[in-house]
Amino acid sequence: MPKVLIIDDSAVMRKIIQRNILQSGLLVDEFVEAGDGREGLEKAISNNVDLILCDWNMPNMTGIEFVKALRGSGQKSNIPIVMVTTEGGETKIEEAKSSGANGYLTKPFTPEQLKSKLGNFLLVK
Amino acid sequence: MTLESRIETVTVDIAESTRTLFETMIMMDLKYDAASLVDDTQIKTDVIGIVSFTGKCCGVIALFCSKKFALKVASAILMTELNEFTGEVKDAIGEIANMIAGNVKTKLTAQYGDMQLSIPIVIAGEGLSITAGTNHPIGAESTLSWFSRDTWLMTPFISNNEKFNIGLLMRESNK
Repeated sequence: MPKVLIIDDSAVMRKIIQRNILQSGLLVDEFVEAGDGREGLEKAISNNVDLILCDWNMPNMTGIEFVKALRGSGQKSNIPIVMVTTEGGETKIEEAKSSGANGYLTKPFTPEQLKSKLGNFLLVK
Repeated sequence: MTLESRIETVTVDIAESTRTLFETMIMMDLKYDAASLVDDTQIKTDVIGIVSFTGKCCGVIALFCSKKFALKVASAILMTELNEFTGEVKDAIGEIANMIAGNVKTKLTAQYGDMQLSIPIVIAGEGLSITAGTNHPIGAESTLSWFSRDTWLMTPFISNNEKFNIGLLMRESNK
């Protein structure tokens, strides 16, 4: 079963996302956590993760900087990335997609919305 | 642009953003009342979750609540019973303030152009007020001291028999 990397500077939000994924019936074997884009980049490259969920506003390296860095790294650069963020404007969504994000989910979200966005990348029970 | 002239639309933005959050991730009942302008001497609270924003408009969105309500709402969003006011509860309040501010910002962006949000800050204690000693425009426009003598647009909410408020300070940027 897949391994999912969650990058968010809030430990609480990482926990909320995990619980919502499990509650929505999406099949995940293991969660890997990172507190900012820089740590996320290290963990994305050093772990065999199948999907990355990434916040936008974080210290050290923002989510959009992370997306650009991973896509330009030449290492594990094809891992699907879904932005999970409070940034909900059309221009932000376009910026994320043009930078290489594969999906976009605005906080707050329901388990059903999460399932709908991640269902393209994860199997459902 | 004054906050007074924007009360009706901004109040709706705050109420809708808070309602959406409570309907999706918190799953607690929510009622809200008419917003009013209050000065900082009227604010007494236990917990403050603050997110500031900059851009053509700059300001602060803050959640004011009791520790009892903070525990209830953190328990709800984390789907687990929390009985002590820990760092996890503060983190949850920060995320709640962040999600409300993010949604209000998205609505304001349509009118005022792009804005940048800060990372949330949470302060907890007993009978907290939020006042700075000076009112001089200094350095960063989003600092609380710059706004300290402005009036807050305060929207009162009730959930699970507990009151809380979402406050907004907002000004057009000079830049």
